[in-house]
Amino acid sequence: MGLHLKLVFQTCIVIAFIYFAQLLVLITLQYVPLNYDVSFLQLKTEINLFHYRIAFFTHVYSSIFVLLLGFFQFIPFIRKNYKKTHRIIGMLYILIILFLSAPSGLIMGYYGNGGIYSQLSFCLQAILWFITTLLANRYAIKGQYIKHFNFMTISYALTLSAISLRLFKWIIAVFWQLPPMDIYKLVVWLGWIINLIVAYGIIKFTNRKRQRLNQMKAL
Amino acid sequence: MKFIQYNLLILVLLSCSEQIKSNKKIQDEVMSAPGSQTNISKSDTLIVNNNIIIKNKADLIGNWVGWFEPDMGNQNNDLAVDDQIYWGRENKISLSIEDIEGENVKGHSVVAGNYRPFSGTISDSDTEYMITLKEPGDDKYDGSFQISMKKNQKIISGKWKAYKGIEINKRKFNLTKKLLKYNPNQLLEYSREYVDWTKLNTEKFREEYENEVFEYISTTFSSATESIYSINASNRKLSKKDLENLNKGDLLIIRNTIYARHGFSFKNRPLRIFFDAQEWYIPVNIDIKSNLTEIEKENIQLLLKYEKNAVEYYDSFGRG
Repeated sequence: MGLHLKLVFQTCIVIAFIYFAQLLVLITLQYVPLNYDVSFLQLKTEINLFHYRIAFFTHVYSSIFVLLLGFFQFIPFIRKNYKKTHRIIGMLYILIILFLSAPSGLIMGYYGNGGIYSQLSFCLQAILWFITTLLANRYAIKGQYIKHFNFMTISYALTLSAISLRLFKWIIAVFWQLPPMDIYKLVVWLGWIINLIVAYGIIKFTNRKRQRLNQMKAL
Repeated sequence: MKFIQYNLLILVLLSCSEQIKSNKKIQDEVMSAPGSQTNISKSDTLIVNNNIIIKNKADLIGNWVGWFEPDMGNQNNDLAVDDQIYWGRENKISLSIEDIEGENVKGHSVVAGNYRPFSGTISDSDTEYMITLKEPGDDKYDGSFQISMKKNQKIISGKWKAYKGIEINKRKFNLTKKLLKYNPNQLLEYSREYVDWTKLNTEKFREEYENEVFEYISTTFSSATESIYSINASNRKLSKKDLENLNKGDLLIIRNTIYARHGFSFKNRPLRIFFDAQEWYIPVNIDIKSNLTEIEKENIQLLLKYEKNAVEYYDSFGRG
């Protein structure tokens, strides 16, 4: 890829991220101060359950930080020049997911809308999120940075499903006007499967680039 | 400088909040009806005899229901939007004769959610009754009725003329006596489709065909699906499962069908045209709040919740 093209591409990604991240911040702010009768919760009768309430607000309040923090970890400039910053942000990212966002996501997934398949999707996603983040942490400690990168890419792809799920829902609603629950059942799966496919592509692409660089060095 | 930057940031944030929630309101004539209307007498509480054939004056008392059609000669007031809507501006009218004392007649009419009292006189010949009725005149749509009621017939027919120069100032009608029987099991029949043309989305299409470019405008309307013909909100408690996959048009119709079963007369045009086309529908009331059953009240609350959600969040960036 030419240098200019790469720059344009990266700028686009940053702008897109800022745009969608601020939308998610606004969604989170709907629940500040603590509000049981807004947006998603208006139709969610489970909010009357005490443990669901805890899980819901833990998830909403913690996940937004995961989304924002994770983005900085993929900026090569910070990774190379501010290793300590990378580590501190990384520790925060991992701790929040492992102790707050993923477990609360699993509980919410159990009560998910859209029937058994949707619940399965949410729970599976929460478990995969937990495992990939845990493994990424392990490999960072062991110094196996390629594997660390691979698992963190998957972990953040799952984090970004917060954006993609809502984006796909919007696209389907605007262009196909399907009934609301049909859309929901679709995006519950599409929202993270497509992200995983993209993550897999990124991992393959980066590893091939790395191999080529190593071969050139060897020559 | 910093101040300007912060202001810009806030502006951007505010403009985007529309995308996670739209501020559209849902329409509800019944629940938001002004309180002053509640003390108007209800036409279905009339003492009515069930004779539908006119033999004497007493048989005239009751609700006379039918089409209230424009009578404007060649002048065309029809409403047509795209190919999907054609409306000849007819409304269902309910003419309620409450009391006849000697020559004097009292009662009220209900058309398009408009309750108007009237009074007038009746005269009698061998073959028919002739009635002249006048509405008070303090409403833009007030006028006078000329009605002829042939003895030993089921139909009364007549003409109406507005006092003021409104768009359609002459109408005619043929009415039959009908008694509102509330039937919670009444389902909608396949008649006119529900189309809300007031909320249409216009899309431009371009097509190339054999080197020629065709441009056309197509309109899509907010409408309802098949589910409105099977879901009844009057005879059983609805659940989350019944409603979660319905679009806003479905929810709106299902809720308003409750009101229609109680004979509510709709002001809202798209709803009125839709329900007027239902054979069983008799619009005799403008206030039905106190007639609603417990099941219906609960269902209305649930339906309103889902409607609010559908209107605000269906095509926005979020879960909803």
